[in-house]
Amino acid sequence: MATSNHFDAIVVGSGMSGGWAAKELCEKGLKTVVLERGRNVRHVIDYTTALKDPWELPHNNRPTNADRAAQPIQSTLYLYAQSTKQFLVDDTKYPYAQANPFNWYRGYQVGGRSLLWARHVFRFSDLDFEANLKEGVGVDWPIRYADISPWYDYVEKFIGASGENPGLPQLPKQILQPPFEMTALEKYVKGSFEKAFTDRRLICSSIAVLSREHNGRGPCQGRNQCARGCPYSAYFSSNGVTLPAAAATGNLTLTPDTVVHSLIYDDKKQRVTGVRAVDVNTLKTTEYFAKVVFLCASSLNSTAILLNTRSARFPNGLGNDSGELGHNLMDHHNGGGATASYSGLLDRYYKGRRSTSMYIPRFRNVTTREEKFKRGYGYEFYSGRGNWTRGVDSADFGADFKNEITRPGEWSVYTEGYGETLPYHDNRVWLSHDKLDRWGLPEINMSMTYRDNEHAMAQQMMDDAVEMFTAAKLENVQGFNHPVTPGSVIHEMGTARMGRDPKTSVLNGHNQVHSVANLFVTDGSFMVSSPTQNPSLTYMAMTARAVDFAVGKMKRGEI
Amino acid sequence: MTNRRAFLRGASVLMGSAALGQVLTAFAATPRKASTFTDSEMSALRALVDTILPETDSPSASAADTHYFIDLAIPACASPKAQATFRAGLQDFAGFDKLAAAEQVAKLKARAAKDVGLPYDESFFLILKDYTLTGYFLSETGATKALAYERVPGGFQGDLPLKPDQKAWAI
Repeated sequence: MATSNHFDAIVVGSGMSGGWAAKELCEKGLKTVVLERGRNVRHVIDYTTALKDPWELPHNNRPTNADRAAQPIQSTLYLYAQSTKQFLVDDTKYPYAQANPFNWYRGYQVGGRSLLWARHVFRFSDLDFEANLKEGVGVDWPIRYADISPWYDYVEKFIGASGENPGLPQLPKQILQPPFEMTALEKYVKGSFEKAFTDRRLICSSIAVLSREHNGRGPCQGRNQCARGCPYSAYFSSNGVTLPAAAATGNLTLTPDTVVHSLIYDDKKQRVTGVRAVDVNTLKTTEYFAKVVFLCASSLNSTAILLNTRSARFPNGLGNDSGELGHNLMDHHNGGGATASYSGLLDRYYKGRRSTSMYIPRFRNVTTREEKFKRGYGYEFYSGRGNWTRGVDSADFGADFKNEITRPGEWSVYTEGYGETLPYHDNRVWLSHDKLDRWGLPEINMSMTYRDNEHAMAQQMMDDAVEMFTAAKLENVQGFNHPVTPGSVIHEMGTARMGRDPKTSVLNGHNQVHSVANLFVTDGSFMVSSPTQNPSLTYMAMTARAVDFAVGKMKRGEI
Repeated sequence: MTNRRAFLRGASVLMGSAALGQVLTAFAATPRKASTFTDSEMSALRALVDTILPETDSPSASAADTHYFIDLAIPACASPKAQATFRAGLQDFAGFDKLAAAEQVAKLKARAAKDVGLPYDESFFLILKDYTLTGYFLSETGATKALAYERVPGGFQGDLPLKPDQKAWAI
């Protein structure tokens, strides 16, 4: 076999976690290959729509019927447009089976969904890490805040994030640049909350978007077109930040268009020796070998690779002694919230397009205990003055109508909660080994539903939003509680959970497969619960921590 | 500020390579020919979009070729049901361009009253208005002359006094 396929480390996937694994491994001196199933997307050069005006895009950026036919699931995503569709998969090429409806939004390319993410970066706290143990839910997190805190510092210093430290125990202090400014309406609502509540605050979200220059990147130019790729490198993506850092070491080999089929497990050594990968264009299978493997292919794909690696020792998937692999699938739920308008502050406006939300931190089950549900939720909060789109639904037309809608309208306000979902054993993914795609990968099946705890929480999310908007004397307050299709929040996680006991978990507290010492899984599949805070920052911190642990073990000859 | 200038310069370079070609292509393509609708349908459509968005302190919808946008976007983007509704509705407005301005307003007002409560796909008026507004306000003319538009705002200022007669942002 060709020596060119031998490396010190293999990283599967180049998104949020894979980019971090690559950077850390390369900077520690390991010759590292990153295997990415999608095409290469070069930073800036391949952001082909980034600076296009609406009229330069087909149909002024409206999706076509042909787009929706090729991407029936992806085209339901909030950010789907002519300007972003190239970073989402063609659903007809990558089918999956839904025992219950599940929206799987996927970005198969170098950078993965780090190009598309909503960029919110809050830390978890011990309220989150202790919850399963205290409540007897699932298994205990094998780590506490003290274990991850220095790694949050490490990641925040490198990625550059902006925002506001509210000084709340449920949102530990972060290393942040100054926040983006609030609108007049947001300042008003913030003041109203301070008068009406002791436990509710409106703050600027922590966001991986630079408000100041950082390491030669940014600052944000106020375009709010992040999902097209940022030519100013103002938001964090693998393409713009971690992969260039990895490449700068000279230790990185980036191999796009290469999908991993399974791991190569050596029964005698009880180690993985590498991976089997398929060139997505030529369909040729190649084996890659390394001393250590990091699976960062996104939760469900990493889980599928493990499930697809079967041997006499592991008949039900590699590392699956516990039987938990593929189980405990979680996503957040965001069906509850409210809208309102405000007819004051008509002499105030704003300039530029802010690419972040305001945030109402979690206040349920923090210091008190709710009877109706466990855990809690934080809200994203958006405000703006009416633009021309407010004229679309009315019967009006003509010169007066045109004059009216070309001026700023009243303020409108929108908030939606992001609620924690408990881990349920029977929310799960599994493979159909008899249904193979053109690359020989078995079809993934999903079955996930929200349960009583999530439904009770969603109702309270709506009621609290209505209460807060009413207290702020906003007008036309309308609560909503929409049903949510699992997967829609794009935080699918938990299907290879960590834990203290190999009998009930797949990974240990260092993201290491309990029974395979040189195999690490650091994407969302490691999650033990689904704290309401957006999870990517934690994936990054846990990845950097796992690499530090793995390389330490390798240096001591223990891996 | 050196960094920021450097970034902005980078943006201009990018634009030069990608966007400029498209703009020139679009410019070269005028005067335009309809792809979907007949000449008489286009005449009616032109009068309809100008009845919805006439010339004021900014150009009319047809001055931004909104009717040509609709000619391309309806078959490409509208659902089959909405397309059928739109085509049938356009038949109802055959010769609309020949009517006097007051008659045009009266006829469209009557249709609006009838259509506005219908589901979108069954409402000729709502489909027409959706595509007219999208076509116009996201055109270069509509976004920059009827509204305010900045490709690269250069940052975000959250709380500014509204200037007299200030236009709303296009996006």
